[in-house]
Amino acid sequence: MRHDTATRVVAVAVVAILAVLIVIPVLTILSTSASREGLAVFASIFSSPVNRQIILNTVVLGTIVGVLGTAIGFLLAYVQVRMEFRGKRLLHLIALLPIVSPPFALATAVITLFGRSGLVTRDLLGITPNIYGLPGLTIVLSLSFFPAAYMNLLGMMRSLDPSLDEAASGLGASKWRVFRSITIPMLVPGFASSFLLLFVETIADLANPLVIGGDFTVLSSRAYIAITGEYDVASGAAYSVVLLLPAVLVFLIQRYWAGRKSVVAVTGKPAGRPDLITSQPARMLLLAPVTLFAGLIVLIYATVVVGGFVSILGVNNSLTLDHYAYVLSGIGSDAMVTTTTLALIATPLAGILGMAVAWLVVRKLRRGRSLMDFLGMLGLAVPGTVLGIGYALTFNTPRGVGDVVLIPALAGGGAVFGGVVAIVMVYVIRSSPSGQRAGVAALQQIDMAIDEASASLGASGLTTFRKITVPLVRPALFAGLTYAFARSMTTLSPIIFLTTPQTKIMTSQILSEVDAGRFGNAFAYCTILIVIVMGVIGILNLLIRERPVGRSADALAT
Amino acid sequence: MTITMHDTPVRDAGDTVGRLVLNGIQKAFGSAGSRVVAVDDFTLTVEPGEFVTFLGPSGCGKTTTLRMIAGFESPTAGSVSLDDEDMVSLTPDRRPMGMVFQSYALFPHMTVFENVAYGLKLKGLPTKQVKEEVGFALASMSLTNLANRAPNQLSGGQQQRVALARAMVVKPKVLLFDEPLSNLDAKLRAQMRLEIRRLQRRLGISSVYVTHDQDEAMSLSDRIVVMRSGRIEQVGAPDTIYRHPASVFVADFIGRANFLDVDEVRADASTGRASATVLGSRIIVDAHPNAVAGSDCVLLVRPESIRVRPFGDTEERIAGNHGRVLSAVFYGESVEYEIETEVGNIVAVVSDPTFTEIAPVGTIVGVSFAPERAWLLPAGD
Repeated sequence: MRHDTATRVVAVAVVAILAVLIVIPVLTILSTSASREGLAVFASIFSSPVNRQIILNTVVLGTIVGVLGTAIGFLLAYVQVRMEFRGKRLLHLIALLPIVSPPFALATAVITLFGRSGLVTRDLLGITPNIYGLPGLTIVLSLSFFPAAYMNLLGMMRSLDPSLDEAASGLGASKWRVFRSITIPMLVPGFASSFLLLFVETIADLANPLVIGGDFTVLSSRAYIAITGEYDVASGAAYSVVLLLPAVLVFLIQRYWAGRKSVVAVTGKPAGRPDLITSQPARMLLLAPVTLFAGLIVLIYATVVVGGFVSILGVNNSLTLDHYAYVLSGIGSDAMVTTTTLALIATPLAGILGMAVAWLVVRKLRRGRSLMDFLGMLGLAVPGTVLGIGYALTFNTPRGVGDVVLIPALAGGGAVFGGVVAIVMVYVIRSSPSGQRAGVAALQQIDMAIDEASASLGASGLTTFRKITVPLVRPALFAGLTYAFARSMTTLSPIIFLTTPQTKIMTSQILSEVDAGRFGNAFAYCTILIVIVMGVIGILNLLIRERPVGRSADALAT
Repeated sequence: MTITMHDTPVRDAGDTVGRLVLNGIQKAFGSAGSRVVAVDDFTLTVEPGEFVTFLGPSGCGKTTTLRMIAGFESPTAGSVSLDDEDMVSLTPDRRPMGMVFQSYALFPHMTVFENVAYGLKLKGLPTKQVKEEVGFALASMSLTNLANRAPNQLSGGQQQRVALARAMVVKPKVLLFDEPLSNLDAKLRAQMRLEIRRLQRRLGISSVYVTHDQDEAMSLSDRIVVMRSGRIEQVGAPDTIYRHPASVFVADFIGRANFLDVDEVRADASTGRASATVLGSRIIVDAHPNAVAGSDCVLLVRPESIRVRPFGDTEERIAGNHGRVLSAVFYGESVEYEIETEVGNIVAVVSDPTFTEIAPVGTIVGVSFAPERAWLLPAGD
């Protein structure tokens, strides 16, 4: 199809926006790390035992969490698809809980419950384990990130054609054998992509290593210390690059290889109901760990909620509203309003950007479509720590050509509007990939002839986009955006480098409360944050339900 | 097989709106190394109000040609013009054409009414007029009581009617159809065929219709363009294409055909006829201009033109105009024979047979045809 002017304008605008939001910050990090100090860090990465240990720690942590989180996700998804039991829907909601909660909620609660003076460990079991370091990180990160694996595998298992299992049984295979030789091999691509996704999320995480990492230093916390503790920007950039490369590489593998290896035949609707597991021992064997695990999550979140209403949970259990008074007045309410406002501003912008990229990738571009897709997803692939450092390096000073300032300082103490611009930009580039992914999936489902029908009735490319494409992908887009909003509200790693005295963000406020040992305040913050996120998601869901015609996904396929 | 309708055209006979001229258009895909030419040297004029069908096997380039007319593909060579205005430089939305798609392509988030109103609203017509015209279009397709339904609540036939109404309501100069009936069952297809033809006649809109179904092409078209491997094989009215095909390919593609070997061909270019010996007789038949004396020729006789009459018992040898029945299938309204003769196996369809007339398998029958029903054409592809 010939490209009309509107398409060209959109393409150029999208490229320019992506350049400012992600490409330039990443390039700045690369060029800063190429300085003398930075190169020295690169040189010492494998020669210095300390650095070698950091790399090893990072890889070990990523691998353990990747395996554990995928296993948990699979167990829950399997039970969800292949078993009938009471509380199934509840279990699904419990499994999604970690998505809407800030990272410290889990870490802080785990310390309170299982730490040296933990409610469960010391008070109940009489042991005083050291939870800080690898054990704590493993528990907290697996709990935080398994929902991604769960969702991934759940979607895949639901689209598995049950007639394959039936065919195998028909050939005389036992149920266990069907599971081993049919179900599991079909899901291998799902396992691979879940593992890689969790690996990247884990090595990119900064919040939990800071709170519960103890002496167990990983690349992200090392980069953070270099910048904020040692004021060594070049080394910080260098550690970031070391973190950036595997993260982007694994991301690429996950997206373009594991995604493509899928053998799951998506036929639209499954041919029948999958064979349910009815044998009593097998049910017990599956349900016991699932129940235990669900109980653990509930316990942890109960701790968060209760912890906000008592003085010091486990030490002084008297009821108090002090924490909420502290959080809801002054600094706390300030941070709450600012964070929510900025996230609410960023979410629709991210939606528009993600949608525009998806539209160009699926419908308009022929050459350069994979590059465009990659650039759009880069905001997700680049670890938050790296992104934050990149923004700090790029936008702390005014940018321009010669003496002409093109972009004023957007981040840091001297920035315009107290640095909110950079924070919104980070939210947008972190969230737009969710919109892009939803948009691409939805667009691929819409028959090209629908666009052509609109064109033949006299609609320009832009009109078709506005009147046909956007309404059709809106449900998928909204779903992607609720996830994006939750992500903005709960993100810390990039924000920590960008908050200024004028601009308080909840997640970084929580971090300082945790650092100061004021867990009660942190719990109150976390509870409020969860309530806000769920509230906004609820409102967005109501908005989606309003559409009377063609709201079902089936209506998209012609 | 052509159906004649007696609707009065809305446009005047002298109206010359919608003359579509395709001149030497070509479409090649890929780069120099692996170039695939999908359509080549395609020249055709669609007269105002004319219904032209592109017919051919899949991959013959018919849909690509249609998409070049609509503007969804741009030709690598040649020109497309409508009423002397160049179309190639226009994007699809600026071409005064309407299109009906194989997949219907209704907008799933709009009601039937909104679907049909879409094009009119884009033209900026006042709401009242939009309502009127949509109401009229829906009424003419018997869709009035479905106006507020969503497309996924309609049957396939209803969806295609909505698509048709949506394309026609904007009064395009040319209507394009991309295999619009191929997703419908046979009965509905026949019914929709009549409806499309009637509506097109009444509105007098020049139409180009792509199909691989010869019945569809025969029943709808003023002219049929038979395509093969990206090129035009023959253009002509349905009866011309059927009775006087230009090649064995066309004869074979349209309807069923017996190709009989002939001897001692003597063609007379001035009369367009030829004499030849076949099935033991010397006959004079109409001939294609390319069928000249001395060249390889075959004689086309359609199965329904073959006469079969019971002759004798099973012992007789087959020679001259005698053949042996290999199979006889009774279809109710006709019986179909396969008959072994000196010049190869012949398929014959005899209509309205009584049981006593049906020749049993293995018997010898007399095989003949009226020479005026035969057509001599060059052999070979």
